[in-house]
Amino acid sequence: MVDVRAWLLWALTVLVVASSTRNPFYVVLLLLVTMVVGATCAPVRGRRGALPSLRFAAVAVPMATLFNGLTAHLGDTVLLRLPAWLPLLGGPVTLEALAFGALNGLTLTTIFSGFAVFNQVTPVRDLVRLTPRAFHEAGVVLSIALTFVPQTTRSLARIREAQAVRGHRVRGLRDWLPIFIPLLVSGLERSMGLAEAMVARGYGAVSDRAQPLRTQAFLALGLFVLLGGWLAFLFLPSWKAVALGGMIVGVGIIVGVLRLAGRAVPRTVYRPYRWSRRDTLVVLGCGLVLAVILLPLPLVNRATLAYTPFPRLALPPFDPLVGLGLLGLVVPAVVATGKSRS
Amino acid sequence: MIHFNHLTYTYPGSPRPVLADVTLDIAEGEFVLLAGPSGAGKSTLLRCLNGLVPHFTGGTLSGSVTVAGHDPVAEGPQVLSRVVGFIFQDPEAQFVVDRVEDEVAFALENAAIPPAEMRARIEQALDLVDLVPLRDRPLDTLSGGEKQRVAIAAALALRPRLLVLDEPTSQLDPQSAEEVLAALVRLNRDLGLTMVLAEHRLERILPHVHRLIYLPAPQIDGGMVEVLSGPPRQVLHQMDLTPPLVTLGKALGWEPLPLTVEEARHFTDRKSQIANRKSSSIIRNPQSTIHNPLLAVRSLHFSYDGEPALRDVTLTIGEGELVVLMGRNGSGKTTLLKCIVGLLCPQQGEIRLAGEPLAGRETADVCQNIGYLPQEPDALLFADTVAEELQVTLRNHGLVDHPPLDPTVLLERLGLSDLATSYPRDLSVGQRQRVALGAVTVTRPRLLLFDEPTRGMDYVAKRDLVHLLREWQAEGAGILLVTHDVEWAAQAADRVVMLRQGQAVADGSPSDVLAGSPLFAPQIARLFPGTGWLTVEDVVS
Repeated sequence: MVDVRAWLLWALTVLVVASSTRNPFYVVLLLLVTMVVGATCAPVRGRRGALPSLRFAAVAVPMATLFNGLTAHLGDTVLLRLPAWLPLLGGPVTLEALAFGALNGLTLTTIFSGFAVFNQVTPVRDLVRLTPRAFHEAGVVLSIALTFVPQTTRSLARIREAQAVRGHRVRGLRDWLPIFIPLLVSGLERSMGLAEAMVARGYGAVSDRAQPLRTQAFLALGLFVLLGGWLAFLFLPSWKAVALGGMIVGVGIIVGVLRLAGRAVPRTVYRPYRWSRRDTLVVLGCGLVLAVILLPLPLVNRATLAYTPFPRLALPPFDPLVGLGLLGLVVPAVVATGKSRS
Repeated sequence: MIHFNHLTYTYPGSPRPVLADVTLDIAEGEFVLLAGPSGAGKSTLLRCLNGLVPHFTGGTLSGSVTVAGHDPVAEGPQVLSRVVGFIFQDPEAQFVVDRVEDEVAFALENAAIPPAEMRARIEQALDLVDLVPLRDRPLDTLSGGEKQRVAIAAALALRPRLLVLDEPTSQLDPQSAEEVLAALVRLNRDLGLTMVLAEHRLERILPHVHRLIYLPAPQIDGGMVEVLSGPPRQVLHQMDLTPPLVTLGKALGWEPLPLTVEEARHFTDRKSQIANRKSSSIIRNPQSTIHNPLLAVRSLHFSYDGEPALRDVTLTIGEGELVVLMGRNGSGKTTLLKCIVGLLCPQQGEIRLAGEPLAGRETADVCQNIGYLPQEPDALLFADTVAEELQVTLRNHGLVDHPPLDPTVLLERLGLSDLATSYPRDLSVGQRQRVALGAVTVTRPRLLLFDEPTRGMDYVAKRDLVHLLREWQAEGAGILLVTHDVEWAAQAADRVVMLRQGQAVADGSPSDVLAGSPLFAPQIARLFPGTGWLTVEDVVS
């Protein structure tokens, strides 16, 4: 299994690439990469394949195409003209505007697909572990909140059905009351039940004390220095270097205080993170992609990223090196299949 | 191990104590069953063992409790968590994270157990309840029985000396309940773990326990009631409502009282008067054979995302007929009920109520003529008073001015007259169930569909429900019940329909369908095979 931190970097890289290009070749390539990774890395149970992404595309692409085609009146290839008196819609409908809209829909689908993969491969538990140990209680609360969401959705469905069978119809806002009240009460009852169960299992027995005042004071100081540095950076151009230094010091104080406070929380971890070679490979893959997208590397034609269909639709350029670079995102799928073979 | 010394406890705001002057001793390694009607204070007594009462609930407490040398009242539930493992009714309500292994690890991480020891403990806990193959599974993909075993493993990982279980199988179907009980029996036999378990359905668990404690319902005047405690047979003699086998044994004077069908067979082999009776076959509810068809379901098909849940189901229910629908979990029982009231739309087939097709009609509209009680009645209740719940349904159907049935009469019939102004959610499980029944039947529907109406009910509440159903039947209502409770079904049914994997595989009289089923045969049917007898009344009448 790939570490949650490596997955986080992977998802962010997908986001960066998707927002850096509208070249359909690269966008489609990226979409295919996320689908391949989803198909190979998601746990078999609950694996949904490419179906949710395709379903999303079936809505997002036509909607974006239509919206952009009707509202953006740029481009040379005019297909038809809407009467000028129509507010917003009036004017020429061009092939270029439709194409650009479709590209936007495709990009949205790619981002959706990337995060759908991230969602499937990272258990709630691992995400919560990313919270600093000093905030362990907050992490647990977050974890519970996240498991409460699907439970609440299920109870909402149950309550709607139960009210329908006693003749209830939802017509206006007031009609939601018979649904909302049982939902709220059952949620509260569940919270009380969970609290009781957690107390019975010893939760809060050893760490039932507030953070010492010193920790809070240093945390406040760190935040103050960071904020001050940031404001100076924004509004005092001549003090930029000092401001940057201030921001770094502020972050340093906060990280240090959290580490020290975390050590004081007596708590052990059942499955500690173990950084493996696979994780390094995933990070290297993401690094390659980010380098190709963001750095002026020799031989790589980054200009091909900045494709636009305006003013006249033309075949987008394709640089094989950029295409190859994007394949760095497929590393999680490669290490996953490598593992299952071994 | 456990010592209650003149313990009296009153909930905050309650005029009388729920536990009055309880004195009890439980030895190490004992498997103790705690029985008694709803509201007798079983859960309260269990919660005194780890200090949840009074630390979590408030209230006033006198007397003392000692558990393995600890004082739960003074030390509190967090400290007692190292000694007492506590399992609640609903396994889902106690989970913090979403994966089996992580859930078991949660309490250990909080207790700062070193990782090496933690691994060993988790391994052992999963092994003890047979969960090793499921260790990586997300919790929401598990069955009810598997979830409850995860909760037990999570408690075992803390190495408790005492396991306390509050109706751990009340939310489970018979197979899942059997799994959980088998795990508990093994833990008690192999590890000598002391266990205290509260339960309504005694028949399954009685053969395994060393001691039975019976808490009678508290008296209205707050007077003292005697808590019975001792070997199961001794206490069963003093209890009113017992499992069918024990009731039969008491009626026929069998000594020692049989707790299992095997034990009872010794008596049926010896006693000739029983053998002679076997020849007389009985006819149950002869009036149930003449019916005008009320509900007609024909060739019904339904699938969830291509997964068939109902396949070619055909079923009729006549006026005044009570049909029980049985089958394992996932066999399509609830799906069938939902299709009838229009909550699900069948892909094929036809449903008619009194000759009128129901297809295309809204659920809210259909339910004026069909009273449907869903599995979790709490989802229905939201009004401030019991009486108001009935009014809401009438208002939804526009029947407030001329109700088909006087709501006060209905409340009286349901035994809720005294509670008409109470807040529904404060009532006991059985009472809430009856409020929900009132809310769906106040339109005087001709057909009643009840999904697991006896969940969490004690023997008294179940007996009362049968009486109520008989009254509705006599007025001509057709009734379709879904239940896992075989003993109760044997009492109530005119006809039994068995579903398996979405198909109706048996449809006939209870004696034909139930007696021949290995999984669903009631105790009496297993004791007297081939006689058609299902209940104690069949034998002793």
